[in-house]
Amino acid sequence: MSEGRRPTEADQPPASAGEYDERLLLAERTDAEINQAVLQPMIQTGRGFWALVAGLGGLVAWGLFAWGYLVYWGIGVTGKNRPVYWTLFITTFVFWIGISHAGTMISAVLRLLKADWRRPITRGAEAMTAFALLMAALYPLIHLGRVWKFYWMIPYPNNRFMWPNFQSPLMWDLVAISTYLIGSSLYLYLALIPDLAMARDHTGSWRNRLYRGLALGWRGTEAEWHKLHRALGIFSVAIIPIFLSVHSIVSWDFAVTIQPRWHSTIFAPYFVVGAIYSGLAALATILVIVRRAMRLQEFLRAEHFDALAKLVMIAGLFWTYFWFSGFLVEWYGNEPVTRELIQEEVSGRLAPLFYLQMAANLIPIGLLVSRKVRTTPRLLLTATLLVNVGMYTERLLIVVGTLQRNDLPFNWGTYRPTWVEVSIVVMTFAGFALLYTLFSRIVPYVPVWEIKEGRLRYTLRRIGRLLVPTAAEIE
Amino acid sequence: MTDSKSLIALFDESTKTAEAVDALHAFGIPEDKLTVMTGVPYPEQAIGRHRTWLRLPYIVLAGAVGGFFVGLFLAVITPHLYRLDVGGHPPAGFPPAAIIVFVFTMMATIVSTFLGVLWEMDFPRFGPAPYHKQVTDGQLAVLLEFPVGLEAEVRQLLETHQAHDVAEPERMTL
Repeated sequence: MSEGRRPTEADQPPASAGEYDERLLLAERTDAEINQAVLQPMIQTGRGFWALVAGLGGLVAWGLFAWGYLVYWGIGVTGKNRPVYWTLFITTFVFWIGISHAGTMISAVLRLLKADWRRPITRGAEAMTAFALLMAALYPLIHLGRVWKFYWMIPYPNNRFMWPNFQSPLMWDLVAISTYLIGSSLYLYLALIPDLAMARDHTGSWRNRLYRGLALGWRGTEAEWHKLHRALGIFSVAIIPIFLSVHSIVSWDFAVTIQPRWHSTIFAPYFVVGAIYSGLAALATILVIVRRAMRLQEFLRAEHFDALAKLVMIAGLFWTYFWFSGFLVEWYGNEPVTRELIQEEVSGRLAPLFYLQMAANLIPIGLLVSRKVRTTPRLLLTATLLVNVGMYTERLLIVVGTLQRNDLPFNWGTYRPTWVEVSIVVMTFAGFALLYTLFSRIVPYVPVWEIKEGRLRYTLRRIGRLLVPTAAEIE
Repeated sequence: MTDSKSLIALFDESTKTAEAVDALHAFGIPEDKLTVMTGVPYPEQAIGRHRTWLRLPYIVLAGAVGGFFVGLFLAVITPHLYRLDVGGHPPAGFPPAAIIVFVFTMMATIVSTFLGVLWEMDFPRFGPAPYHKQVTDGQLAVLLEFPVGLEAEVRQLLETHQAHDVAEPERMTL
């Protein structure tokens, strides 16, 4: 099928003649070639892939051992103390929740806005959301220590007459994160069904059996497409308020306490904006790596990195605005404990972390102004990695930094993580990378049907001396 | 249509497919005996089919209302059954209840959308079904059922509109 991706009128030369021939949706490829270009790197796994899986699996196994050690000996093997009750675990929990926000942003928001550049990157973003949430969901369990008591949070009548306290932000966390995890997983799966059918039609052995099961009998009839489109539209609308609510609720874990520097009305939007900033940056990082590892240069092009990096830059500017708004009010208020905390950050023991946070969050915004940085994968990787170093440090300062000082000076303290905490944190990073690596080899990483749909919409139109890419309104 | 026959025909592009569908309608093949399969979501009515009415929005609405009441029950009723007074707050305050009700409403909306669309599509459907694997390679497949006596005319009509590989459909286990 060649229609829709290049002009059919006599006065419209082919895409390759113009300056827009780098655009994916105008590229010269048949549908069968696109299928093969996506399936080949997925099916062919070299020694490097298995070495990576083994390495990541080893880190996960070590982390599980550390978790087992914690469960056996108790929470005392961590660096938790009075007053620093929330430590690396909650810091990393907040970080992963933040990372999960890019998937919805890219997939749902850009789908509703009909931004065509989203097409090749939506699946990678949605998978990132689901796996980041899985990692985040581990932390409340780890943080509990007595993980086997988790079921006490589930509301069911019992002979202990115990009932979850729905007034507690920790309970809001449970329901909000569960909802987001269910929603993002179903959203990911629903959009995958046509591509699973494509993979079913082009693979054999265990893969064919797997895809047959997951494709649920998809044939691509008009009625099926119509219903799928309708469902994805509803999902896109419904998941946006959920994604906003999740990080707001995480922020309220902090803001509803009377801890200085946490008790702030700006915390919810500040957290949401920070989550979008770190999530988009993490997505750009992952796309650069996956593009190289899976040889997806044809699908993940400069145009996509350029657009994504612009979003990262805008999110960074918003983050700066919210950070400054909060900081200004706290600094101006000059409340004694807050003043002490600000001094600790700006010129005290926490100063290295504070300046790392500011540099790592602000420098990338300046770098991303340059089109060269936005479109050169190596430079973009550096800038976006820096953002996530900055955002992790920010969470560390919010959680651990703030808890070291409070309204009772005799109750001040410090915190140093133990090998158990560090191992568990490393486990979730390795676990995320492992799940993502396996995912990219089991399901089509590039949403093939979305790209083909985009090609239906796109054509070149002559305006004066220019050939301009034009998207048809077909929905 | 007791003595009926099925055919599947492949087309390279959508305009010819739409013309063939129109011609088949004009020839007397009813709407419910025609299925068009594509690897790409064509816009509604692009291939000449009628708009289908969906129950999905109502299923979603019912799910959302159900979730709202479950949330309301958990956030407002159960705290009175298992009373726990914390921080001078009433057992069920508006702000926490609003959060719980909102989240449960959204959870039910999402789950009912998913289950609703599977139900609407009659999924999962793993048995043998008429299909052609070239659909996912960009071909448009028209599957039709008609009285046996009309086969010659139908074949000619399809070939006039540049259909190829006109044959009896293979029933594949999907």
